[in-house]
Amino acid sequence: MRRAGRASLAGVAIAFALVSVSVRAQGPVDAAIAAFRDDVHVAAGLACTTCHSSKPPAGRGGTSSSTAGGAEAYSAPPRTAIAPLCATCHSDATYMRRFDPQVRVDQFLQYQASTHGKRMAAGETRVATCTDCHQAHGVKRVNDARSPVAPLNVTRTCGRCHGDPARMTMFGREATAPADWSASVHAAALLKRGDTSAPTCAACHGSHGATPPGVASVANVCAQCHLREAELFRASPKKDIFDAIGQAECLACHGNHHIESPTDDWVSVTEGMVCAQCHDDSSDSGKTIREVRLELDRLSTALSDADALLTRAERAGMPVDEGRLMLRDAREHQVQSRALVHAFALAPFSTTAAEGLASARGAHEAAEAAMRELQTRRRGLAAATFLILAFLAALGLKIRRLPPPGA
Amino acid sequence: MSARFRSWLEERLPLSDMVDALRHKTVPHHRYSIWYYFGGMTLFLFGIQVGSGALLLLYYRPSAAEAYESVQFIVTRVPFGWLVRSIHAWSANLMVASAFAHLFSVLFLHAYRRPRELTWVTGIILLLLTLAFGFTGYLLPWNDVSFFATRVGTDIAATVPVIGRGIVRFLRGGNDVSGATLTRLFGFHVAILPAIATALIGLHLLLIQRHGMSVPPSIERRAATDPDAVRSIPFLPHFVLRDLFAWTAALAMLAALATFYPSELGTKADPFAAAPAGIRPEWYFLWTFETLKHVPPTLAGINGEFLAVIAMGVGAGGALVLPFVARSTHRGRRLVVWVGVASLTFMSVMTALALAGAAP
Amino acid sequence: MASSENADGRRSVLNWLLGLWGGGVLGSICYPVARYLSPPDIPEAATLSVSAGSARALVVNSGRVVPFGSRPAIVIRTPDGELRAFSATCTHLDCTVQYRPDLERIWCACHNGQYDLNGRNVAGPPPRPLDPYDVNVKDDEITLTRRA
Repeated sequence: MRRAGRASLAGVAIAFALVSVSVRAQGPVDAAIAAFRDDVHVAAGLACTTCHSSKPPAGRGGTSSSTAGGAEAYSAPPRTAIAPLCATCHSDATYMRRFDPQVRVDQFLQYQASTHGKRMAAGETRVATCTDCHQAHGVKRVNDARSPVAPLNVTRTCGRCHGDPARMTMFGREATAPADWSASVHAAALLKRGDTSAPTCAACHGSHGATPPGVASVANVCAQCHLREAELFRASPKKDIFDAIGQAECLACHGNHHIESPTDDWVSVTEGMVCAQCHDDSSDSGKTIREVRLELDRLSTALSDADALLTRAERAGMPVDEGRLMLRDAREHQVQSRALVHAFALAPFSTTAAEGLASARGAHEAAEAAMRELQTRRRGLAAATFLILAFLAALGLKIRRLPPPGA
Repeated sequence: MSARFRSWLEERLPLSDMVDALRHKTVPHHRYSIWYYFGGMTLFLFGIQVGSGALLLLYYRPSAAEAYESVQFIVTRVPFGWLVRSIHAWSANLMVASAFAHLFSVLFLHAYRRPRELTWVTGIILLLLTLAFGFTGYLLPWNDVSFFATRVGTDIAATVPVIGRGIVRFLRGGNDVSGATLTRLFGFHVAILPAIATALIGLHLLLIQRHGMSVPPSIERRAATDPDAVRSIPFLPHFVLRDLFAWTAALAMLAALATFYPSELGTKADPFAAAPAGIRPEWYFLWTFETLKHVPPTLAGINGEFLAVIAMGVGAGGALVLPFVARSTHRGRRLVVWVGVASLTFMSVMTALALAGAAP
Repeated sequence: MASSENADGRRSVLNWLLGLWGGGVLGSICYPVARYLSPPDIPEAATLSVSAGSARALVVNSGRVVPFGSRPAIVIRTPDGELRAFSATCTHLDCTVQYRPDLERIWCACHNGQYDLNGRNVAGPPPRPLDPYDVNVKDDEITLTRRA
């Protein structure tokens, strides 16, 4: 029944639905029918009766809005039955590969392992199931920008529940995560710059298998993009210490949702700064922290000095391309030095910071050379002007001394 | 030795005839004769433009891919390239200023009167050519400001009825400002306009040589009773040395301007970027843009911009035929002076408004 | 008589001074023009092509970053010995990429973006491939040319 004759039923059912619309006032059923026209399942030849049985489901009243013949048949399945219903097709590899040979068929398996899935299976219907995120009618592909699970829309979709304090309190949870994330650098990258590689809820928590990542595993997620920092961290003494005290690698310093752009002044043992959470001034580590911070500050100052002088030279009309190239190189070294902070040792960091400092000083030198060239030009002008003025003086005298006209 | 050389030349070229003619040439000297120097100044600055322009031509590349980089090359890598480029840019501004000073001084001194009508007409055309030189040259560095200024400037041509779009396509080499526009305006700037200008300058100088310098009517009247009102000074050496003095002083000013206020490179033109804030044409076009900004959208049902463009066209046409319509009576000349004062004031006020509006 | 002789003397001194300073003015015009006319060391702007060093020194499975105008370029010799060149500005957030012989890929250290040996973005955040440049070798000198 599922497969055989579905195509012909599709035509009949849709025609019936369309006719029904015209003889009835708009209701939730009509809205569903209207939305379904845009659904990706329609293209696959599916119809209303695929998911909605033709008999009224046992024990549950329908949501029909009229007494006309077919309306009661299209009642919503019970919430606990939705995921298994979708899985009848979406977990069937043989069936699904007709539509997309590469498609995954483990969504239901993942869902069952997720926090949402486990609670739903235990009868808690207030957690998410397939239709909450993908919609019931009008389902679109993930890469369709209108889909609620398209990268730009994911946080809004998760936030409908996880940002709602009333709902979250029912589960003894905070509702701050979506708002925190929206204030993070990742949100800015995604929503303001359109960088779809930036992580949303699903990137770290999973989509179908959504579960808060364990302490040990969250860093693996960060490491997908921030590989350099992760490798450095794992090679550093901190890894064993953090494992021993059960501390999540990246989170201790960078947070999980509200991840801001780190600044150089995090590296400090002053009260309130990031390193001061564990370190203080008295130990060797405190000395290293101060040394690292000193070099970071020195590099940052050298960069801004060079930039300022280059800009001054540019404003005065001097070309400073080579200086700008060196400054760009210095900035790249600054980025690398900041990454090397995650080695938590002086050695590789100092070398890179020193190289960056050398480039920044080179840029400054180039700017100074430009300013000196400017002075040379002005001196050249002074010499030329002197010659011209002397000539003009002599010429003026000559003109004065000319015999009066008419003589 | 030099006597032999001179007689060798004498046999072949009419040198002594020319020198004799110049030796006998005289120039009136009176209260207002200082204004005579502006014509020569404009010519001198044109010579500077030809010289510095030729030097720039040795390194400049007129294509969208290379123009900006070639100018960058000139000002960074070529010895004194910065000087040649900045002198070319400043001399352009000074030449336009000098040309306008020359125009208005000739107007107020009524030197357009018979028999000098053709001198005036060629002069007006030369002024328009100077403005065209400025407009075509402005795009050549191919930076942000010049690209968008050219786009806005050529847009104005579209308001002309019937042939407007055709004019725009002719100027731009297409529908929009592109590399084709650059090549086309370059061709105008270095070949077509200089050819026409040289011919007209030759004619203009020939006519001046033919008719000599005009003495203003008020001086002529005064000379009837006071013989000291106007004297004659020899062209060679008195006038020439004074000319040389003015030209050398202008050279010093150009060098100083080039050193203390060098032209900037800007950022390379990006046709797909949004127009940067504060796009303006060069200062000598500012008054037209400010006028177009203040004109009401419609006047008696006709497009305001269109009317303003027509008015400016009528103004230019009126200037061209001035010697033929101005009456040579005292009242006629007073009218010309008032029209001149009104135009000058209008252009100055509009320019000042534009500059004030643009200042952040 | 004496005064006219003095006048003559003064006139010739004046003429001499005029000649001296006039010569100076002419010199201060001719000197920059002469310097301008002699070709500079680098004869033309590196807009369309640039030299990228010795071909022999670029061994198999290695890369070199060189400046190309105001932006960096990377020239690599693939494990098969072929020379290829691309823009070295990562298409993600503009960091400068480098060659990773262990991965046999072009790699960006900032967010672990990877490009294959054809410049195509194959892993990590970069949204677009790297712009390719034409490579030519003459007398052991590599020249990179921008594609029009």
